[in-house]
Amino acid sequence: MQSLKLTLFFLFLISFANAQTKISGVLKSTKGIPVANANISLKGSYDGTSTDSTGRFAFTTTETGLRILQFSALNFVQDSVQINLSNGNITLNLILKEAANLLQTVNISAGSFITGDKKKGAVLSSLDIATIAGSRADVFAAMQTLPGAQTAFAESGLFVRGGSASETKTYFDGMLVKSPFNATVPDQASRGRLSPFLFKGTSFSAGGYSAEYGQALSSALVLESTDLPAKTTTGISLLSVGGGLDQNIRFKNSSITAGGYYYNLSPIYGIIKQNHNYIKAPEQLGGNIQYKLKSSETGMFKIYASYSRTRLALYRANIDTPAAPRYFSNNNLNIYINSTYKEYFGDRWKLETGIAYNKDRDAGLMTVNDYSRQDHLLEGKATLTKFFGQLSNFRFGAETFATGRKESLNGLLRKYDDQVSSGFAETDLFLTHKIVVRLGLRGEYSSYLQKYNLAPRTSLGLKTGIHSQVSFAYGRFYQNPEDEYLIIKSTGFEQADHYILKYEINTPDRNFRIEGYYKDYNQLTKLNNGIPDNSGSGYAKGFELYWRDKKSIRNADYWLSYSFLDTKRNFRDFPMMATPSFAAKHTVSVVYKHFFESLHTQFGGTYSFASGRPYVNPNNPVYLADKTQTYNSLSLNASYLTHVFRQFAVLYLNVNNVPGFNQVYGYQYSANGLNRQAIVPAAKRDFLIGLMITIGDNTFIR
Amino acid sequence: MKNLTKTLVFIFALISFNSFAQNYSPKFLQAATNGLDQIVAAKNAEDYIKAENYFDRIAAVETKEWIPSYYAAYCNLYAGYFTADKDLKDQYWDKALLEIEKAGTLSANNSEIYALKGALQFMKMTVDPRNRIYLMSESAESLEKAETLNPENPRISLIRGQDTFYTPEAFGGGKTKAKPILESAVAKFAIFKPANAIEPNWGAEPAKALLAQCK
Repeated sequence: MQSLKLTLFFLFLISFANAQTKISGVLKSTKGIPVANANISLKGSYDGTSTDSTGRFAFTTTETGLRILQFSALNFVQDSVQINLSNGNITLNLILKEAANLLQTVNISAGSFITGDKKKGAVLSSLDIATIAGSRADVFAAMQTLPGAQTAFAESGLFVRGGSASETKTYFDGMLVKSPFNATVPDQASRGRLSPFLFKGTSFSAGGYSAEYGQALSSALVLESTDLPAKTTTGISLLSVGGGLDQNIRFKNSSITAGGYYYNLSPIYGIIKQNHNYIKAPEQLGGNIQYKLKSSETGMFKIYASYSRTRLALYRANIDTPAAPRYFSNNNLNIYINSTYKEYFGDRWKLETGIAYNKDRDAGLMTVNDYSRQDHLLEGKATLTKFFGQLSNFRFGAETFATGRKESLNGLLRKYDDQVSSGFAETDLFLTHKIVVRLGLRGEYSSYLQKYNLAPRTSLGLKTGIHSQVSFAYGRFYQNPEDEYLIIKSTGFEQADHYILKYEINTPDRNFRIEGYYKDYNQLTKLNNGIPDNSGSGYAKGFELYWRDKKSIRNADYWLSYSFLDTKRNFRDFPMMATPSFAAKHTVSVVYKHFFESLHTQFGGTYSFASGRPYVNPNNPVYLADKTQTYNSLSLNASYLTHVFRQFAVLYLNVNNVPGFNQVYGYQYSANGLNRQAIVPAAKRDFLIGLMITIGDNTFIR
Repeated sequence: MKNLTKTLVFIFALISFNSFAQNYSPKFLQAATNGLDQIVAAKNAEDYIKAENYFDRIAAVETKEWIPSYYAAYCNLYAGYFTADKDLKDQYWDKALLEIEKAGTLSANNSEIYALKGALQFMKMTVDPRNRIYLMSESAESLEKAETLNPENPRISLIRGQDTFYTPEAFGGGKTKAKPILESAVAKFAIFKPANAIEPNWGAEPAKALLAQCK
């Protein structure tokens, strides 16, 4: 009897323990669409199931009492509901909220091109930049294939949306680079100093950029350097114009890279006829050293230092007295040091600090006059970012830089020094994951100008579909007049207001964007009888198209840029409102790259077109009314991937202006206006051959 | 001092005891085995996501075990592999990287975890090779780490072989280069014995299949 009771008791226990509750139901999104493959789980147990394609689910559990049922799916916010498992089977109608994810989250994008290896929606990677035909691995030349930027002709720099070269500023890890270009020959644009391989990201902004960046009226080119290299490697580059060697040494949490190079253009100038009569073809010797330390899981300290010397001398044609060509020589010295540190504190705060120093000295002989010029910049900067909510952040920071120029002509010295101090605060507020507003304010004080400015900036992004968004930006921008005017006289800040409206569609394989803008310039520097003041003004308006497609043609990648620009300004020595000579109304770039697997070779082509640009004809009473012929250029390159002594190597060939289009940058007139001479490229065609070898790695990684 | 030595010895004894004793509860062992059956039966992305959900549920309870997160990552690797949409691929692999990261925090210096991480990084690269070429070196780094931890892990050779097989010859890949790596993978698989029934033991068949294509 006793044993029977016990047996019954145990049987009861077992049946109780096996009492199963069936939980079933359907899971839908807030829009009423069934959510498939969602995970339904009973918290604290293995029990649960996945929803089917109609969002339905059913499972049984032996758990009892009050429990939590969790449900989650990709792109949805996890949610839960409390259920009571003691009252028999349960049927549920569950609703899941869409999550903000990177793909569907709006971003701040008006005016800017997100580029870089690690960024979503990136337009150009560092490898892209290096392999654009015609760019010859020059960051600035590569940026000229993007809409908004003009082809640079007779002057170094990035001319953006009607802005002069000095209105585009270059930032290296957030720090201003005062002299980003190599020594310049008169009437010829020169290359940038910084190799694209230093950077993992280059963000090109044609307007409306963050309050973090000051002292730029038109454009900010933001370069972000790479982190620790993966391996210890040696790189050798042999070029038709010289060569370089660099050594990467990777330690556990740090790395040292040291490199040197020597370029001499005289052998190549012996082969390719130059339009200048060189006495000393450009010769450059330089070196750089980098140290990077990963100071913690999230902390990074970097220092980059470079040194270079360039020498050149030539005779320039003298249109007034052809028999007496004008002599020009230049010895350039450039020192650049950039040191930054960044670290996260907790998961809500980020600190970025840096110190940068730049010195650029040019000296030589101009006809019979000794000249020298020295620019310097010492900058300190700190920025704090506080992240809040799911995506929003608040940033504020301060920077100060001591800058100025010293120059002399035949022993006559003049100089100016300025301390520009600024502070900024900015917030990115995500109202929902489809709407973001950026509000920013920047203030600056210049000790030399003895003036303050206050620049408000705002942007708005609105997601219109999974891959599309509309953006708007307004911002006010200030910068100091160019050194050549400041050294004469302290004036006031130049000012520009940007209004930008953009629509874009981005998928992993294709990008499309159309952007319209209006820029209002005020207080531009103008010379009145040789004395600068701030009475200049102007405007620029236009629209731009960009289309990139990496999918339609197998192994190919191409993009098209078109820019329409309508701009007039009255500045510098202009007697009236006129379109400046660096502004072409229509600019087109087509970049095509095709990788042929069987040939181990990538072929590339870049076609650039610019409609005629104005030039000053002293015989025409209307200022800047004549126009040059249209500009056409077709460059081709080939990169052959191979091995040399079992080490990975790339054999590279680039030819500029393959069809030999006549290219005219402008005209120089004789003093009496009777004779003129075209300003043309240094050579009609030019080519570069290079062999890059990487020792220590058998893959295509540097 | 003596006390300290004693304590240290005791701690070391505990550590080694824990690392050798596979004290899985029968319930966990059974659940993991069921999950592995689901993986074996999986034929498409949906099946892999369902298996991943299953391992996720186990991972939520067994907060000290690395195996559920490891297999959740493994399932997402294949879910992405069987998906055509690049955005979705990316999302599955992002999630897989988070899961393998979690597995890594539960079991430090685990060769299997680094091997799978290397495979995931490589697949992330293939979504947009031009923009993500840096992931190739990150993947190589993970695989190297996996190798220093256990050179006999056959999955490292399989993953390397696979990556090499699908990399164009010009970029240092191709069938000829993949062949010796896959041969070593097959040889290592032949002698590989997992510590127990639920530790990673996959890859022998794909290694053979891929090697066959190299001939």
